[in-house]
Amino acid sequence: MPAWFWLVPVASIAALGAAYGFFRAMMKESEGTETMARIAAHVRAGAIAYLKQQYKVVGTVLVSLTLVFCVLAYVLHMQNPWVPFAFLTGGLFSGLAGFIGMRTATYASARTANAARDSLNHGLRVAFRSGAVMGLTVVGLGLLDIAIWFLVLTRFYGTDDAHQVVVITTTMLTFGMGAAVQSLFARVGGGIFTKAADVGADLVGKIEAGIPEDDPRNPATIADNVGDNVGDVAGMGADLYESYVGVILASAALGAAAYASHGADVQLKAVIAPMVIGALGTILSVVGVFFVRTGEKATQKQLLGSLARGVNGAALLIGVLSIFVMWAMGLDNMWGLWLALLVGLLTGITIGQAAEYFTSQGYAPTKRIADASKTGPATVIIGGVGEGMMSVAIPVLAVVTGTGLAYFFGSHFEFSVGTMSMGLYGIGMAAVGMLSTLGITLATDAYGPIADNAGGNAEMSGLPPEVRERTDALDSLGNTTAATGKGFAIGSAALTGIALLASYLEEVKIGISHVLERGDAYTFPDGFSIASNAMDQLEGLNLMDMMTHYEVVLINPKVIIGMFLGAMLAFVFSGITMKAVGRAAGQMVDEVRRQFREMPGIMSGTEDPDYARCVSISTRAAQREMMVPSILAIAAPVLVGLIFGVPGVLGLLAGAAVAGFSLSMFMANAGGAWDNAKKYIEEGHHGGKGSESHKAAVIGDTVGDPFKDTSGPGLNILVKLMSMEAIVVAGVTVAVHLV
Amino acid sequence: MATYVYLSLIPEALVASMLAPDDFGLYYAIGSAKRSRGQALFFSVDRDKLDPKEFPLEKIDAECVPHPDGSPKLSVYLSIYRVLERVPRDALVALHLATDDGRVLTLKPEAFEPDGEKRAHLYQEFCPVTPRVVSRLHPGEFAEFITDTAKSVHIPRLVYAELTLGNLKNNADHPDIDNLPYPNIGHLRDCLRELAFGPEKATKTVLRQMTQEVLYRTIRNGFFVADADGITSFPLPSRDALEREHLAWWRSAQSTFGH
Repeated sequence: MPAWFWLVPVASIAALGAAYGFFRAMMKESEGTETMARIAAHVRAGAIAYLKQQYKVVGTVLVSLTLVFCVLAYVLHMQNPWVPFAFLTGGLFSGLAGFIGMRTATYASARTANAARDSLNHGLRVAFRSGAVMGLTVVGLGLLDIAIWFLVLTRFYGTDDAHQVVVITTTMLTFGMGAAVQSLFARVGGGIFTKAADVGADLVGKIEAGIPEDDPRNPATIADNVGDNVGDVAGMGADLYESYVGVILASAALGAAAYASHGADVQLKAVIAPMVIGALGTILSVVGVFFVRTGEKATQKQLLGSLARGVNGAALLIGVLSIFVMWAMGLDNMWGLWLALLVGLLTGITIGQAAEYFTSQGYAPTKRIADASKTGPATVIIGGVGEGMMSVAIPVLAVVTGTGLAYFFGSHFEFSVGTMSMGLYGIGMAAVGMLSTLGITLATDAYGPIADNAGGNAEMSGLPPEVRERTDALDSLGNTTAATGKGFAIGSAALTGIALLASYLEEVKIGISHVLERGDAYTFPDGFSIASNAMDQLEGLNLMDMMTHYEVVLINPKVIIGMFLGAMLAFVFSGITMKAVGRAAGQMVDEVRRQFREMPGIMSGTEDPDYARCVSISTRAAQREMMVPSILAIAAPVLVGLIFGVPGVLGLLAGAAVAGFSLSMFMANAGGAWDNAKKYIEEGHHGGKGSESHKAAVIGDTVGDPFKDTSGPGLNILVKLMSMEAIVVAGVTVAVHLV
Repeated sequence: MATYVYLSLIPEALVASMLAPDDFGLYYAIGSAKRSRGQALFFSVDRDKLDPKEFPLEKIDAECVPHPDGSPKLSVYLSIYRVLERVPRDALVALHLATDDGRVLTLKPEAFEPDGEKRAHLYQEFCPVTPRVVSRLHPGEFAEFITDTAKSVHIPRLVYAELTLGNLKNNADHPDIDNLPYPNIGHLRDCLRELAFGPEKATKTVLRQMTQEVLYRTIRNGFFVADADGITSFPLPSRDALEREHLAWWRSAQSTFGH
């Protein structure tokens, strides 16, 4: 094993150790007044209750799928025997990352509010380092999972045979599916929970009862705060865990395929290069967290500068230090691969900045939506949909440019069949570059909901205006920095989607090898046949050969059908999740109305609302409503594979990736723009709070809520889960298909 | 249990109640069960200064008594027509502003002092009539103007508040009117222009009557009760005091949708 590999477990332990240290330091902070502690305890109890319920459902699904994979692996011999265990650990680690992040966030909100009573800088330090707990836990657990499995599988299979290294890397990809299942449930369930509570709290509390947001008299307000934690923290943690390991493993698999003919030593180095870069980025993230500090009287601009120093400093350092990693790996074309990595970083930054431009109230698109509010809610909706659609252009152009350049740099600056796998490895490296410093970029993401909850806690506890101004400043800062983090996550999902297509074909080859091992010949759709004893012939097929033999061309109806189905799934998935939010919010509205009706003491403050019941309604609704979209995502690649075989599945994945990425950007940006258009008006524009324009913008924001927090983020996972699952069940698709 | 007498402005009525001002505001704003909501403005009235010939004060002791189960009597209406003009100004000891979810802010009376700033004014009248007018007159002059018995058109007593005009206070054509939540700003500008270019005109009606709730955040300085004998001011606390000392009311006041 190359010595550089050991950086992976070292970085994992460093990240987990730093996360534990930050957690302990946060816990030593005071929760403030009795009211602050009581509110935080309500939110914490609700969040834990939700997660327990969610983990029961996801646990059942994970165990059921593990049993199915056991049958496929041990009874039908269609799958690698390690798949069931890899799948299960991916799911467990992903859930654990989300759980730790959420638990930290629920402890941190009151402490952040209390620290903000002292100074802005103190508030920032508590919130950001609490966010860093999740960021570092995600990457720490991800690297740990990767390191353990890589060591186990290399010990079992050995690394002398190039084909075995390919088997190892593609087997490891399957724990990405476990993580993807977990993250789909976490994102979709959390998204439905949070938006049901949010919309329910707003519709009855704010509109009907006239009570302000975050008012303790609103029965749904605790559920709303719980939702911020389970959706934005636990959901995001599980989601990015899956993205992180998915990116590294997909790149490792591409490296194994690209360098299969360069000798075992070089091939192994190509496999561990993405892991080492991830490890290096993790160590730099830990260092970057300590850069985030300001003077006691820092302005908002200085705070932003401080956060940017941490995030950009880590990105800059990884850009420089990765040269040494490439050099140490001794890969040929090291400069091309390094440039590909830089392209990934720049693509992520471009997507993040584009999202910031289209959703921040400081820029024209959001101001135009706010301006449209003067003519009512209809024009707000039209404006938001229009701006959201326009916002897709830059990220898509960034991804296609990034993909093209990364391929170009990775493939020795030429587009040819011979260098295709090298080019794809370049794309993988670009995706790794984007997520290499996830530890700190995710800290800025997780910090947002913590600051948001701290603001809610400060409001509900009636803290003095200067404290609320500080928590507002922290919240606003979180919104700005989170845009870059989201850009990296979305961009990496798009690049990983492309990389996973290549990994799928590698897994298909392994599936064919299982057929050959059983003593059968295998015949491709174009009539090309491989005899049972011609394993070398199979291993000699490159990606383009596979595409040719499977007739993956646009005029093949199986491919076109698959593409249509993939695009359709993206829309149907969004529709189901949007409607789920509507139904769940309806139940919440009924419950909040009931409580106001039957408990008149709530409004006079003589009676506490039944917060737990609202949490329970959101929990039950989320569990019930997330089943259909999740089953859809899990079943689609299997069914399409069983009917149309490999070409159909490739079409499905391509269609879902293209439509899903665009739709996800549209929904996330439109929702963000509506939200900030409302905030822009509340800042005192177009009549300010309470005006007709404000009413129109509130409607836009309510429509945008499930866009940006449920369907949009869910789509990314849908695309990745389908790719991962296609890889896991590739053996079945190869062995059994109708046409 | 103590008994209180309130003069409600929306609608105009003299009411006796066993509820203290905060509870009465809550009850008046949202009802006894959570089925309705609406802003409420009411004064605490010193019953000793009421004329027994004008109001059936005996009903207070006779009817405003606890229910058989011991719960307080919520309201006994004493009068509902031309009430304000029959309640002496010095009997109004406090003004209570209830938000539409029942949070109550109490304002104490003070002698009126003009702030001396030369500007256009926007007044919202609450009782007994409810037009919104722009005026070149400061609140004291406006009080004299509207209650002048020598004029054929006058009101014996009026409750009103000055609303903010933002940048329009000195320039009807100022482009920055961002935080003014009023409907039909173009019409407001026309009224202010008419006032600016027609020196013979002291006031101009902007809206004939109040159709929706007033956003408390638009209140400038406070409320006034005026009659031919003078004016009493009920100043609103400063923004900082509202944020610091009356946060619950202020948050609630800001969540109202109004005009």
